[in-house]
Amino acid sequence: MPVLNVRGATVSYGGRAVVRGVDLAVEPGEAVALMGANGSGKSTLIKAVAGLVPLAGGSIALFGTPQKRFRAWKRIGYVPQRTGAASGVPSTAAEVVSQGRLAHRFLGMPPNRADRESVTRSLAEVGLADHAHCSVDTLSGGQQQRVLIARALATDPELLIMDEPTVGVDAETQAALATVVADRIDAGCAVLLVTHELGPLTDRLDRAVVLADGKVVHDGAPPRPVGEHADPHHDHAHPHANGDSADEAIWGGK
Amino acid sequence: MNLDLSILDYFQYEFMQRALISALVVGLCAPAVGVFLVQKRLALIGDGLGHIALTGVAIGFLTGASPMWTTLAVTVAASIVMEILRSHSKTSGDVALAMMFYGGIAGGVYLTGIASDKGVANLQQYLFGSLLTAGWDEVWAIAIGGAVVAALMLVLRPWLAAICADEQYARVSGLPVAALNLLLLITTAVTVSVSMRAVGLLLVSALLVIPVVTVQQFTRSFKATMFTAMGAGFLIAGAGVLASAAKDVPPGSTIVLIGVAVFVVTAVLAALVRRVRRVRRAHLPPEGEPLEVELPAANA
Repeated sequence: MPVLNVRGATVSYGGRAVVRGVDLAVEPGEAVALMGANGSGKSTLIKAVAGLVPLAGGSIALFGTPQKRFRAWKRIGYVPQRTGAASGVPSTAAEVVSQGRLAHRFLGMPPNRADRESVTRSLAEVGLADHAHCSVDTLSGGQQQRVLIARALATDPELLIMDEPTVGVDAETQAALATVVADRIDAGCAVLLVTHELGPLTDRLDRAVVLADGKVVHDGAPPRPVGEHADPHHDHAHPHANGDSADEAIWGGK
Repeated sequence: MNLDLSILDYFQYEFMQRALISALVVGLCAPAVGVFLVQKRLALIGDGLGHIALTGVAIGFLTGASPMWTTLAVTVAASIVMEILRSHSKTSGDVALAMMFYGGIAGGVYLTGIASDKGVANLQQYLFGSLLTAGWDEVWAIAIGGAVVAALMLVLRPWLAAICADEQYARVSGLPVAALNLLLLITTAVTVSVSMRAVGLLLVSALLVIPVVTVQQFTRSFKATMFTAMGAGFLIAGAGVLASAAKDVPPGSTIVLIGVAVFVVTAVLAALVRRVRRVRRAHLPPEGEPLEVELPAANA
């Protein structure tokens, strides 16, 4: 039974279909990349899977349960696209990561030992153990992205959904994240990774699904880079619409 | 020394004791709600609900019912409508709020006009509060309401903080986002309507926000921000009542002015501290990747 089964999914924004009849299945323990150019509908599809945008047609099943009746969201770790540091009230890295445990706790109850250990372990996994009590605002862009990934890991997910986790992240952090995610894949966690570029994170993938104009154009072996992209020293950096800022993308992040 | 004694002398009077207790309770509890509102970027909602509360007060005048209860009913209903509009409608939340706020204050003035024997002057008491005329029953209502509000906010802090910081993530992680949003708005409505008669609409919305934005310039964690904001609200409210007793001016405005002054001073201090820290930064950014572009020659 696939952990995620999308059949004929269609999503429209204001009457325009952005995702058109997409089929996508992720088996337990499988690592799948959802790729495509900007505007190909990959982020929209992921938002539909996460239940953040409604389907106009088709069906989504999570762990064999239709999405509408699915309640065990704590089995899913979700890493949203980073939306910049600006936040009203300061929060420490540990506070943000512990949000990943809230679905495991009874409303109003203090965290138990398993909750605290999970938070500490996730922070250590992404290499931020020393920054647990630092305000997130004072961390660099790459460190903030690691905090969001640690938050998803803290739920002990069986399916990890990551939306462009490498946008505006330095090479060192990308390599570190690849190791963390590979460890989870080895431990049996399924991964669905949205990305528009190949990098350390995509090396460990079993399969890639490529979207173009809202439709699946490839479902199989991960694509290999061609041309100058194949050069391991090629710094794949260009401004794009869904990054934090054109500036950050051009200069490879903070 | 003389001055100190004369200030304390005021508190031999029961009405001064009641004023002090009401202000301290509101000062302690309002920031506990406000910290979530500031995080959610709804800092002005206390003020907005206060506008709507005026309609509730006027309905109280008109029907002869206790204004506190009619206010509570109207603001809670308004907060439910607002949450539905915010989450379900395509109308921008901004526009929906603006309509309700203008409608609320106009409804208050209009309905008070119909109940002409009470007059608009009476409405002003609710706008700016009259700490000095509050009775013991009102003080009790404030104390009990405040205790309930503070207890709820403290117990649910991690959940409310999560939905206020990143609502989409909270939804994906399976938290009861709609219920928690509604609870937060209703709690705000209760805070505003229970305390507005005594401390005034102006004051309660200021105490929701000012202590939080003041202390967050120095705090690193959400938890610390919440507790120090409650402490700061308590101190600001207490200082305001004492200062107003000494000068014989309305306590509500004194408290707000002290709050604004404290905010300005800490904002300046925080800017200075940040400048010092920038020199000795705690977290060095990771080594940047080499610049892979050719920079034009400086003299070109």
